Amino acid sequence: MSAGAGPFAEALARLRRDPGALAGAALLAAIAAACAFGPWLLGQDPLATAPALRHQPPSAAHWFGTDALGRDLLARVLVGGRTSLAVGLAATAVSVGIGTLYGAVAGLYGGRIDELLMRVVDFLYGVPYMFLVILIMLLFADTARGEPLPVFVALGLVQWLTMARIVRGQVLSLREREFVLAARVAGAGDARILLRHLLPNALGPVVVYATLTVPAVILLESFLSFLGLGVALSWGELVAEGVSVVNPVRSYWWLLAFPSGFLAATLLALNFLGDGLRDALDPRSTP
Amino acid sequence: MTGAVAVSLAAAILLAAPFLPPAALRALGGLFLAAPLFVLAPDRRLGALAAALLAAAAARWLPLRVLRRLTWLLPSLVLLVFVTTGLMYLAPGNPFANERVASPQVEAALRAQYGVPRSAVEFFGVYTRRLVLEGSLGPSLKVQGRGVADLLGPAIPVSLGLGLLALGLAVGAGLALGVAAALRPRSWLDHAAMGIALLGISLPNFVIGAGLMVLFALELGWLPVAGFAGPRHLVLPALTLAAPYAAYVARLARAGMLEVLQQDFVRTARAKGLSERAVIQNHALRGALLPVISFLAPAAAGILTGSFVVETLFGIPGMGQWFVKGAINRDYSLVLGTALFYAALVAALNLLADLLYAWLDPRVRETR
Amino acid sequence: MSRTLAALAGVLLGIFGAAALALRGSVPAPAELRFVNGSEPRTLDPALMTGSPEGRIADALFEGLTVRDPRTLRPVPGVARSWEMSEDGLRYVFRLRPEARWSNGRPVTAHDFVYAWRRLQEPALGSEYAYILHGLRHAEALNAHAAAADALAGPVREALEALRRETPGGVPAERWQRFAAEQRLGERLAGADDAFAAGLLARRSGSVAARELEALGAALGRAAGRLRASAAQAREHFGVDEGVFATDDHTLVVELRAPTPYFLELTAFYPTYPVPREAAPAAAAADWFLPGKLVSNGPFQLAEWRVGERIRLERSESYWGRAGIRLASVDALPIENATTALNLYLAGAADWLPSPAYPADLVDDLRRRPDFYAGPGMVVYYYRFNCARPPFDDPRVREAFALAVDREAIVRDVLRLGQIPADRVVPPGLPGYAPPDTALRFDPERARALLARAGYGPGRPFPEVGILYNTAESHKQIAEVVADQLRRQLGVEARAYNQEWQAYQASVLAGEYDLARAGWIGDYLDPNTFLDLWVSGGGNNQTGWGDPRYDGWIRAAGDVARFAAAPGPLLEGLREPDAMGELLAEARRGRDAGARAAALGRVRMQLFREAEALLVQEAFPILPLHFYVVSGLVAPRVGGFYAELEGEGGARLPNLQDLHPLRGMWIRR
Repeated sequence: MSAGAGPFAEALARLRRDPGALAGAALLAAIAAACAFGPWLLGQDPLATAPALRHQPPSAAHWFGTDALGRDLLARVLVGGRTSLAVGLAATAVSVGIGTLYGAVAGLYGGRIDELLMRVVDFLYGVPYMFLVILIMLLFADTARGEPLPVFVALGLVQWLTMARIVRGQVLSLREREFVLAARVAGAGDARILLRHLLPNALGPVVVYATLTVPAVILLESFLSFLGLGVALSWGELVAEGVSVVNPVRSYWWLLAFPSGFLAATLLALNFLGDGLRDALDPRSTP
Repeated sequence: MTGAVAVSLAAAILLAAPFLPPAALRALGGLFLAAPLFVLAPDRRLGALAAALLAAAAARWLPLRVLRRLTWLLPSLVLLVFVTTGLMYLAPGNPFANERVASPQVEAALRAQYGVPRSAVEFFGVYTRRLVLEGSLGPSLKVQGRGVADLLGPAIPVSLGLGLLALGLAVGAGLALGVAAALRPRSWLDHAAMGIALLGISLPNFVIGAGLMVLFALELGWLPVAGFAGPRHLVLPALTLAAPYAAYVARLARAGMLEVLQQDFVRTARAKGLSERAVIQNHALRGALLPVISFLAPAAAGILTGSFVVETLFGIPGMGQWFVKGAINRDYSLVLGTALFYAALVAALNLLADLLYAWLDPRVRETR
Repeated sequence: MSRTLAALAGVLLGIFGAAALALRGSVPAPAELRFVNGSEPRTLDPALMTGSPEGRIADALFEGLTVRDPRTLRPVPGVARSWEMSEDGLRYVFRLRPEARWSNGRPVTAHDFVYAWRRLQEPALGSEYAYILHGLRHAEALNAHAAAADALAGPVREALEALRRETPGGVPAERWQRFAAEQRLGERLAGADDAFAAGLLARRSGSVAARELEALGAALGRAAGRLRASAAQAREHFGVDEGVFATDDHTLVVELRAPTPYFLELTAFYPTYPVPREAAPAAAAADWFLPGKLVSNGPFQLAEWRVGERIRLERSESYWGRAGIRLASVDALPIENATTALNLYLAGAADWLPSPAYPADLVDDLRRRPDFYAGPGMVVYYYRFNCARPPFDDPRVREAFALAVDREAIVRDVLRLGQIPADRVVPPGLPGYAPPDTALRFDPERARALLARAGYGPGRPFPEVGILYNTAESHKQIAEVVADQLRRQLGVEARAYNQEWQAYQASVLAGEYDLARAGWIGDYLDPNTFLDLWVSGGGNNQTGWGDPRYDGWIRAAGDVARFAAAPGPLLEGLREPDAMGELLAEARRGRDAGARAAALGRVRMQLFREAEALLVQEAFPILPLHFYVVSGLVAPRVGGFYAELEGEGGARLPNLQDLHPLRGMWIRR
């Protein structure tokens, strides 16, 4: 029996009993589905301007109202959601990829290599990282329009440090277990040990942390698009538009409420899910 | 030349730091602590003297842990400047590309005048030399006739003030919330507090800010909508900036306090008959405070970066606008100026937090 | 107290204490009058500025020979207390008032004006407004001839050689015209008076033979020689004893090349303001206008300039007319965001919001307020085409774009203040000027046909183009709507993007754009202010477009008597040759000086008509969108603000130029 089959089943059972996590997962699924299929089903073009329909409050024709150029807000929120969610997932994937590899190598080889690698991590922790990421985005903003790669990489780079530490910790503690020693005796090389034995067992914390990374990345991306540096239409940009017209003469509440609501709901759902996963996989950890 | 040397030296020190003997750490740590004093001192000789004294005192009395951090400090700043410079040179566009003069001779003249050579390493050398020898941040490349220090000067107190206000609110409110929740675990108060905390973490700060703005400034009219013309203008921005960190602090404080409250020695103390109050004050609060303090430095860093957005939202004339404008306009000196300031601030806060933590937690006093 | 509590108290105290310390001294005391000034000024050097935000400050800091009366906007005595004009309109003598002072106590003298006007023409300064005084003798020579000579004798001649080698059998006219435009031959040969060259430049059909090119090469050499000579002459005499000069400390003499009806208005316009000699070196130095260094002669002084926050002006104690200045201090706030500006005004933190400093959407709510003002403006809102590079180097493409925009819809749905859709370049309301017919209208079918004829279609898709605008909500809305219209009518991908004012200006100057939004306010009440923009290489042209015919007509309008005497090749290409012929004949027949002058005035207007016709029927270097309605909000406590001007006999006239000098305002208590 390979190690790790039991705990997973237990974890899943615990997860299923957690109302917060379930609600979060359901909400997330709903939002993702709406963003993925909604615009296509509803048939509204988020880019089509219609100056005559400027700033319309929510109505039957436009469920979320229209913006300063007469564009349908519902379509824009859903399409913006695609960007936010896609960026969140992609950047997290980058973060997990780099962090896992880095931490695994450090944990597996130990000794001087580990010290060196962790030294770099410690140094990087002290760097005002957000600052550099924002700088990267600002500098490449012109060319980044339509070119999402620098965005994903830049955002992913923000979170890999903690991932590396977590994976390293896990690998270190798993390294001396019997099944690893057995594999070594059987002649397995480092890479094989890593891939088939160590990583699958380290999966728990990685999953938890990844689930908590996604909202952090979405948050950062929303900051950037709020500042006007986003790569494509996204929720942060929509909130910025909503904020930019806040005035005492006329209220355009829908411009602010709907994008904020979606952003907040997504982040809340992710955080609930992440908390739930963490409780499920490691009930001893403090909330 | 200078640039390459400086960078190599910095990298070497950083990599070697864990292997350095204590004597070297003391020397370097003291040196690096005193260096800014020398740079900023108006009188060179007086500054050198003061710096030397400070270095000696620091080497003798500061704990090794702090000295180790100091040893890192300067090289990491140097590397930060280098990396930022590299990024800016890497990015498309350069500050002189858009000037109305098209001829290469005039561009060369402009480059010479402002001290911006074509290579990143050279510029880095020029910049660090000017910084160390003249204590100057250089001229802004885009705002005519202004030095970087002129532009940042009035903006720094505003951002600092706002950030510190937010930090104070975050610590104060967060601790209060967290401790209150920890004292009555699983009560409705606990759930409510943690619920609010979760909201604070989940919502982007500009959403919170926009909400506060709509409620307090527009609907109720109690506070100004935007701009900076008095202390009242800082209330909403500070609350907005503080919110997510108050939430983190609350969660950390609650967790830390709960952990302490469950430990053996607390039960022993209670069994001995010590009043609840003494128990809380003496032990549990420390459990709440320690993780918060070690979170202070990253919190401050986060507040600094969050301030870009909040300053934009509320129209506060702080550092955020200069950073954004500088990067958009490829104003290298301006960007480096803001980067240096932020990095130095974060480092200083890290240091303070370390010192405070060491003072509070006897277990940490031992050198590593 | 336990160590923990002490630590906690210490931390909190330390943090809040530090915050208080940091903020102390950062909070400013408000000025008496605060207004939203739009963008941050790039410079306060009157010779180098080109926008209203900078102009308003300059009008407060400096004073020219004349100033505009706030009530009527007519030029009234400023530094000059009186003046006389010669009968032929070619000579002005200004008598300066001896009590005029700089802010450092030194008297303002005629020599200061000579210095400033010479400096304006100095090529090394690179002022975009140098051309405003090219009506003075020697001014243009000083400003442009040396550079033109060098170009003609050097790179242009080489290029001509290359062209000759490439086309031994002769150059087809179209190619020749493109060559002439690229080499800016019209602009450079302007002062050289070479009839042969002028004739060649006018050739638009057939071809140019190789030997003609050879002859032109020699002509270029001779022209360069003449230009150098005239530049040297200018350098020797301009500011000394010809063009503009001081006969004594308080007498300034100005010599014009041709009568200029709007000349006095120019003396109240900021490029002609005096600059202090000690503080302003001849070439552009970047910091003489900073607070603490700036020496100025106007009603206000520069007290503080916090970039991104405010510019504070304070009443100047050294100004000769300080008794009449009722404002003690003014804050100019550089706010680009319309909503922020409006919020500031409604909260009472700003007293005046000039347009377009409020969100266009709220116009219907705002226009009912008593503090709202609106009126027609002599301002045209347009997009520049970048005619120097594809795809807009092809006039058919430009025309297509101009025909694909539905201006009516924009005015009706986005602007909604009764703006007039612009199908031409010169706004209505200029006395004596009859605008020509225009090809600009909303005609998407023809637009598509033009694009096809230019060679674009399924096999050759149209590239994506950018619409650049300086950061402002209203510009954004219009740009997005235009982009959408272009997409729908032409199937073209147009992307609207913004840059803040300084970066935007730099981009336009460097030719880094496809379409760029612009607005132009008439500097004086004459069609010339709108039409001389588009002269080849003009300081404010910045489109890369030029046409020797156009240059010729505009120059001719600047010296009509000469044109009437010898029209020469300038008559070629006229759309209404008969009308011109009649007017010229009338001018020659005139019985006395008065009748001749009046007839020449009409010839001048006809020349402008022809020039504008070229722009709006054939060349389309710009895409006009609408003529402004100037509007804004001004608090009732502001006195001395004239949304409407006082005309003769109590008539009310629109404030077409939207000029509201700060010197005339005060705050009611």
